[in-house]
Amino acid sequence: MSGFGRILLVEDDPKDVELTLTALDEYKLANEVVVARDGEEALDYLFSRGKFEARGNGQPAVLLLDLKLPKVDGLEVLQQVKSDPNLKLIPVVILTSSHEERDMVTSYKLGVNAYVVKPVDFHEFVNAIKELGVFWALINEPPPGSIKKN
Amino acid sequence: MNQKTGEPERRLPLRSVSLLARIQQYGLAILLVVAALGGGLLADYYKIQGVQFALFLFAIAVSIWAAGPGPGVLALILSCLVFNYFFTEPIHTLYVTRDDLPDYIAFLLFAALLSWFSLVRRRTEQILLKTRDELRLEVQERTRQANLLDLTDDMIFVRDMNAVITYWNRGAQNLYGFTSKEAVGKRSHELLRTVFPVPLEDIVAEVERTGRWKGELTHTKADGSRFIVLSRWSLQRDEKQQPIAILEVNTDITARKQREVEIHALNDELGKRAGELEAVNKELEAFAYSVSHDLRAPIRHISGFAELLQKNMASALDHKSQRHMAMILDSAKRMGTLIDDLLAFSRIGRAQAHKTMVSLQQLVQEALSDLAQETEGRNIVWRVGELPACYGDRAMLRLVLVNLVANAVKFTRTRAEAEIEIGSTNHNPDQIVIFVKDNGVGFDMKYVNKLFGVFQRLHTPEAFEGTGIGLATVQRVVHRHGGRTWAEGVVDQGATFYFSLAKSGESIK
Repeated sequence: MSGFGRILLVEDDPKDVELTLTALDEYKLANEVVVARDGEEALDYLFSRGKFEARGNGQPAVLLLDLKLPKVDGLEVLQQVKSDPNLKLIPVVILTSSHEERDMVTSYKLGVNAYVVKPVDFHEFVNAIKELGVFWALINEPPPGSIKKN
Repeated sequence: MNQKTGEPERRLPLRSVSLLARIQQYGLAILLVVAALGGGLLADYYKIQGVQFALFLFAIAVSIWAAGPGPGVLALILSCLVFNYFFTEPIHTLYVTRDDLPDYIAFLLFAALLSWFSLVRRRTEQILLKTRDELRLEVQERTRQANLLDLTDDMIFVRDMNAVITYWNRGAQNLYGFTSKEAVGKRSHELLRTVFPVPLEDIVAEVERTGRWKGELTHTKADGSRFIVLSRWSLQRDEKQQPIAILEVNTDITARKQREVEIHALNDELGKRAGELEAVNKELEAFAYSVSHDLRAPIRHISGFAELLQKNMASALDHKSQRHMAMILDSAKRMGTLIDDLLAFSRIGRAQAHKTMVSLQQLVQEALSDLAQETEGRNIVWRVGELPACYGDRAMLRLVLVNLVANAVKFTRTRAEAEIEIGSTNHNPDQIVIFVKDNGVGFDMKYVNKLFGVFQRLHTPEAFEGTGIGLATVQRVVHRHGGRTWAEGVVDQGATFYFSLAKSGESIK
């Protein structure tokens, strides 16, 4: 393991943000998380535009993406990421409340790397988030150009 | 003898002359010669000369003409003999002098001539009679055929190329209300005030080209009411291929038309309903999606933050507060399960069914291995009978068996030795009936109607866990396969759950 990559968490619900960060914090992954509160903000970050114009070029090691988002929804973000030659290498994990098969099929068709339904039970939720964070930010070797902290 | 079998005799009267008629004919010849003799003798008596020869000629002529050649020959021979005997010198002998010869030759020639005339006449007469008989037969045949046309309810008429009606059957008479007398001779399109779907010239052109036309016409009856007919026209041509008449067969399709209109209206209504149903389904889908997404989040938050609170405040909370916290967590978890079950149930109603041949035997085996965890350490006697294959959605049917078998496992938990039987009864050739029977806690038949309802439970959560969605799911799947579900049970003596599936599988929605 050569350190862990930055996580971009796209989540509109502050409670979910807090719970997710709490879960990630158990593995001390939380301080490398960037939170975008809607799809537009996420895209702005990824394309280094708007308020992220000066952020530099490094991309996150993984994108944790909720589906139901204000302005631009998760599927749209996914579609834009996967159709951009520079961004399509970023692993994208859909992290959603919805069990909808339709959403899952659409996501896989768009090229999502993983699809996780947030468990209601907090222990399971924490475990799921931890495993995701550990796998994508620690174990997985991200594509070249992603931000890594040694 | 009836009319029909009498026909052939009338047809050939000359060939079948009876013996009596023949005797009469020869008798006539003899009589005529005798009469000529009488006349001759009478003329002799009054001293009138030269009539005897003419009288005998007359007798021969009448014999040939009226009685035929045979009697004619008899009359000729008798006349010669009698004439010779009575009227030629020497009288009262049959001696023939040279001077008499011309008289006999004249008799002979005259007889021959007359015979020939007679023959020609008879032959002509025969031909005429034959023709008459043939004509009569043809008239009979035609009448019979025309009568056949009267048997149908269809309106049939024939019209010439100027649309003048020449034949009008009884059906036309009954339905249009014009008698044959009223109709024949009239122009059909005027009489019936025909409304054509396309210009008449086009129809006529098509009839002349193809010999046929078929279409719907509006006709007016004698009482002024209008109605729609399906009209079929056939063109008749003469030997020179010139069109001479059109046979028009019309069927009253007013009732059919009306039904078509009704069906159309019903279809419209159905389309509208289907549209409404689709809209409702869409709403339901949106609702389910919203439930799935928006309701689960707060539950997760309640559960998450309560958990965090419990963890961080473990030392500060007293026993009672800890218990309250545990109850909050338990409720949140249960709410989550309920939402998930409800969503799964709703998905079964919305999901597309993928029909294939499914081995129920194999599905039962799969269900049993799915439940391995629940059955571990239990003493269960399994009796799995022979199960047929059926046509349906594999995943859905599997859910049915898993639910039923899981229920049987669950409700026999209190038995030292559980007995679970899975089998099929085959009384109906159109459907398959599968049952799952257990010796568990059973149920009161009083509540049998509640068994398959959504979230309906007959036991407390402490006794048997569950959300009450399992049997509702079973029923929904079975209904989608065109079958039905039912159950029998006795409190504390076990329960049997049945479901039927249509064998053809055609009714799957």
